[in-house]
Amino acid sequence: MRTWRSNRTVLLVVCLVIGLGLFMTSRAGLLAPVENIVAIPLNFISGIFNRIGIGLSEGADWADMETLRQRNADLEEALAKFQSELVDLREIASDYQRLADLLEYTTAAQNQRVVAADVVNVDLNAQLRTIVINKGTRDGITVGMPVVTQQGLVGRVMDVSANAARVLLVTDPTSAISGRLQTTRAEGSVIGQLTGNLRMTYIALEAEVQEGDLVVTSGLGGNLPPNMVIGQVTSKRQFEFELFQEAEVRSLIDFDTLEIVLVVTNFQPIDISVFEDTP
Amino acid sequence: MGSYISLPILMLAAALQASIVPQFGFLGGRPDLVFLCVVAWAFNAPLRQALVWAFVGGILQDLLSAAPTGVSVIGLVLIAFALDLFRQQVYRVGLITIIVTMLAGSLVQQVLVMGLLLVSGFDIPIITSLGYVVFPTVVYNLAAILPVYVVLRWLQKRVAGRDAFFT
Repeated sequence: MRTWRSNRTVLLVVCLVIGLGLFMTSRAGLLAPVENIVAIPLNFISGIFNRIGIGLSEGADWADMETLRQRNADLEEALAKFQSELVDLREIASDYQRLADLLEYTTAAQNQRVVAADVVNVDLNAQLRTIVINKGTRDGITVGMPVVTQQGLVGRVMDVSANAARVLLVTDPTSAISGRLQTTRAEGSVIGQLTGNLRMTYIALEAEVQEGDLVVTSGLGGNLPPNMVIGQVTSKRQFEFELFQEAEVRSLIDFDTLEIVLVVTNFQPIDISVFEDTP
Repeated sequence: MGSYISLPILMLAAALQASIVPQFGFLGGRPDLVFLCVVAWAFNAPLRQALVWAFVGGILQDLLSAAPTGVSVIGLVLIAFALDLFRQQVYRVGLITIIVTMLAGSLVQQVLVMGLLLVSGFDIPIITSLGYVVFPTVVYNLAAILPVYVVLRWLQKRVAGRDAFFT
């Protein structure tokens, strides 16, 4: 009995040492080449299942006709409202275009070069918000590049292999982006929440924050280009004893059903860390 | 044979969990298919076979995640050992045993993973994570363990035969 117990204790210790060894070496980045190779068949299989899963969830939506009818009515109402706004905005845009042409000024958005990629899997760990896409260094993707859809910013490339890249979503708690309210130009830091929402912090107390305001990237810090849509303000919080106010922001993107994303390949993050060390 | 079959089964479970399962999540939680497969197999497998399943499952789980490899392995190894000890004390694996083990095992695994992620530098809000991810995942695991156990038990009998138990 004692031998059985001691054997198992030794086995337990050996297994834990191996497990901890894996953890430490992986954390140090020593296993990265092996991990990238082994992950290729896994990403391929999960990519196939991902397409099936999105098909299934779209099928489930069709079943809920009443919700769809209501949503359709809401969208038609919103469309009518936005069409009148669109006329005004077109006027402003044409004025802007004339001025920009005069200054030979082109916006960053017009110069963006993008690579389209399929989402092949979602992070297996429910506490992390990352996705894997099927494009990597072979397609010109490098760490730090912004990832977007038509609805706005998805996240940033955090890790890349030859034919795949891992994207840190804006909703991950470790994600912090310099943001700006589109209307008042008030700046803040947009931080991801486990709940899938975003929180804009460090907004100056005197800044006016309104529900429905669009939040865009400010470009401060050099990590992302300016004026990419991050989300929309849903509520704000302001306490007397605090130096800043906060706003809850909801991304316009449904991260659970992401199928195709665009990687902005002609933006290189600016490394300003060298200045942070200067006393 | 029981050890070799772990690779295709756990690969399938990991691929499903990284693709289809998140579509049916509740709050931030979702059933942990790889964990369920490892525990369901370990209930009636010899310790060494359970350890192979724990290592293969943990590594596959971490390969499809931003977490460092090994984060999921440690918890699964501990659970495999705990199940082996527990099995010496009970006459046979019953419904209550499965539920209690799953409840305790899911909690231990989730909290251990959260702790190791924090050590690795991931900024995880502990209280939010407990309520939004850990608790729903434990509930999901409790709901999903019986079908997973029934399927894997059937497979285990087909693969190993009756004589293989406790060898």
